[in-house]
Amino acid sequence: MEFTIEHLKKSFEKKEVLKDVSFTFRGGNIYGLLGRNGAGKTTLFNCLNRDIRTDGGEFWFSDASGRRQAAPDDIGYVLSTPTVPEFLTGKEFLRFFLEINEKQIPDPKPIEEYFRIVNIEPEDQNKLMKDYSHGMKNKMQMLINIIAEPPLLLLDEPLTSLDVVVAEEMKGLLRKLKEDRIIIFSTHIMELALDLCDDIVILNQGRLEEVEKENLNSVEFKNKIIEMLKEEDHA
Amino acid sequence: MLKAFRISYFLQNTYRVNSMIYSLKQIPLIGRLLPSALYGSRGLKCAVNGISFLWEILSAFLGKFLYLFLMVWLPLELYPAGTTRSDAFLHILVFLTVIGAMMNTWMFNPTNDKYYAMILMRMDARKYTLSNYIYAMMKFGVGFLPFSILFGERAGVPLVLCLLFPLFVVCAKMAFALIALKRYLRTGDCTNENVLDRYLWIFVFVLLAIAYGLPAVSVTLPLQAAGIIFLLVIFSGIYSGTVIRSFPYYREMYQQILAQNRSAADVQTQVRKAVREQNQKYISQETDIKTRKKGFEAFHELFVRRHRKILWKPVKRTTGICSCALLGALIAVRISQPLETAVNSMMMSALPFFCFVMYMCNRGSIYTQVLFMNCDHSMLTYPFYKKPAFILKLFQIRLRELIKMNLPPAMVIGGGLALLLYVTGGTDNVLNYPVLILSVLGMSVFFSVHYLTCYYLLQPYNAYTDMVSTTYRLVTSGTYFVCLFLMRAELDTMVFGSLTILFCVGYCVTACVLVYRLAARTFRLRS
Repeated sequence: MEFTIEHLKKSFEKKEVLKDVSFTFRGGNIYGLLGRNGAGKTTLFNCLNRDIRTDGGEFWFSDASGRRQAAPDDIGYVLSTPTVPEFLTGKEFLRFFLEINEKQIPDPKPIEEYFRIVNIEPEDQNKLMKDYSHGMKNKMQMLINIIAEPPLLLLDEPLTSLDVVVAEEMKGLLRKLKEDRIIIFSTHIMELALDLCDDIVILNQGRLEEVEKENLNSVEFKNKIIEMLKEEDHA
Repeated sequence: MLKAFRISYFLQNTYRVNSMIYSLKQIPLIGRLLPSALYGSRGLKCAVNGISFLWEILSAFLGKFLYLFLMVWLPLELYPAGTTRSDAFLHILVFLTVIGAMMNTWMFNPTNDKYYAMILMRMDARKYTLSNYIYAMMKFGVGFLPFSILFGERAGVPLVLCLLFPLFVVCAKMAFALIALKRYLRTGDCTNENVLDRYLWIFVFVLLAIAYGLPAVSVTLPLQAAGIIFLLVIFSGIYSGTVIRSFPYYREMYQQILAQNRSAADVQTQVRKAVREQNQKYISQETDIKTRKKGFEAFHELFVRRHRKILWKPVKRTTGICSCALLGALIAVRISQPLETAVNSMMMSALPFFCFVMYMCNRGSIYTQVLFMNCDHSMLTYPFYKKPAFILKLFQIRLRELIKMNLPPAMVIGGGLALLLYVTGGTDNVLNYPVLILSVLGMSVFFSVHYLTCYYLLQPYNAYTDMVSTTYRLVTSGTYFVCLFLMRAELDTMVFGSLTILFCVGYCVTACVLVYRLAARTFRLRS
């Protein structure tokens, strides 16, 4: 399975944030999306999630059976600041999600089993989510986004504000999840990207480009990424 | 010091001009035509600078005129004949000035321009404060002078006191500034005019009661006493000026005052945080709230039951008030014959007035606000929630709930109007009864549909819970003004009622069709 973006464009007034984004992501990989502040990483995610209109270009999934447009169900989008309906308990939210998506999830597991995936204790499952910690809200958001098994998961700096224990749990979860799906992981922290991701792509001057690892060791690879990111200053 | 004033004045002006351009850019259609490059346009900036300068002059005088006219001159008209006008005029002025000295200080108001100048741009805090303080005090003095003479002379106050009044105002503010600065030196605590403690609020209310209450029983400060207070305050103000001038810790003090709202962005963050916390408080902590329903019905029922306090409690209160008002009206028309005739005639011609009443009773505005803040704000970030079928399903459930919420007061009002018409002598045309009831119910349904439709079609909030849609603001204020305008209209009940029913049915059908066609595209978080 592949996810292809072709000639995606987005401008805000005269500022071209995404000039011509074209790239093919392959299934089973975690892609680290790096870029300077304001490079357009969140704009790219918002375009793919259809939260904002694009000015041109298209994106689609393709596999042996052919090519198809991306539907809302195909994309999971986890934001850096977790947002959950705080008037519900964790269990109520999960039950609601499973009930309204019963066609997409025809053979659901018991609710407790889902909570075990993200290590949410039974005593917390019946608490209102307004009383959840930042990390627990983040886990709930991640859980909802992975249950329906969307083929594409967009993660916008999801680990930045988590404590080290939760961040490690989430990294482990993402490594398990990557089979049969594409995960695009946006971050500012290069060490995190190098540790977790299979490939690094850079959003530079409104275009996406892959950083070839070739035979470089980790220090040389890191330096190469920094050089590529710096190029924007001289453009 | 002049240089510091000049720089800070231009800084403030730039901030003001940019705010004006930003506001213009928020207006639909016009905003799209205006490029961001306008912020750098010299010509436009000069023009807006001119407007800003004129506003500076106008505001210096207009505010003082309105203050003296509304707060002092008009209340004078209400006092009994035994009250001496000149004494009452000065009496009110003295006590209001004491309140103003505490609540409108300039110095202890943590505004953005102070933050930009002293903290971000690191201007000399003492020079900035003193130069701007002198300017602000001069504006007070000059702004008050013509109107203190105008109103004072008319009230019979001696000219010398009229001339001293602006100085009295300025010196009272300076005397309060002295107290606040001394407090800072003694305790390290800063004064913030926007955050008065409980005791100061009590003090303010006592002063208000003295200012307006005593003249009502013909007790006022004698003219001589007011004159002596003027002189004492002016002398203490002059002394305060010397302390204010030499006070050495402005920078430290403002660091503390402005820490509470560090920057424009942080002010926004604080407002967002306060809004979020306030909305979280609406969520009930009761653990026994459960539902037997499934899917969206369960989701919505839990939302409504956990927000009962904000959603349904006011409905009960409004219905109770309407019932009491109806009962009072029924008793009154039985007692007074002229009132009975007047009410009967009112029932036949004043139905438009009840359009405004229904507007005031409707819960659409608060309902959509709570829906967004505590539900859609988070749910709209999940792709599954934005599926067209789900959006429409929830729209139906929510509309049903809002209509249910708006109906109880509407039934009391509609039924009450028909009942009042009947007990005050009735009407030749019996159709007037159902028209009264149905048109009020129609208005109630109209407001329910109107608010929810606007919310779904214009979804005015962004991910930070800021309302960013000017169109939504225009539509909601337009609704208010139309209802306000109708309040004064007198039209035959049969004609207006029938048209209202037709309009409501037509509007509801059109609105629902629009939601079905467009909501899947429009109901999402604004960027």
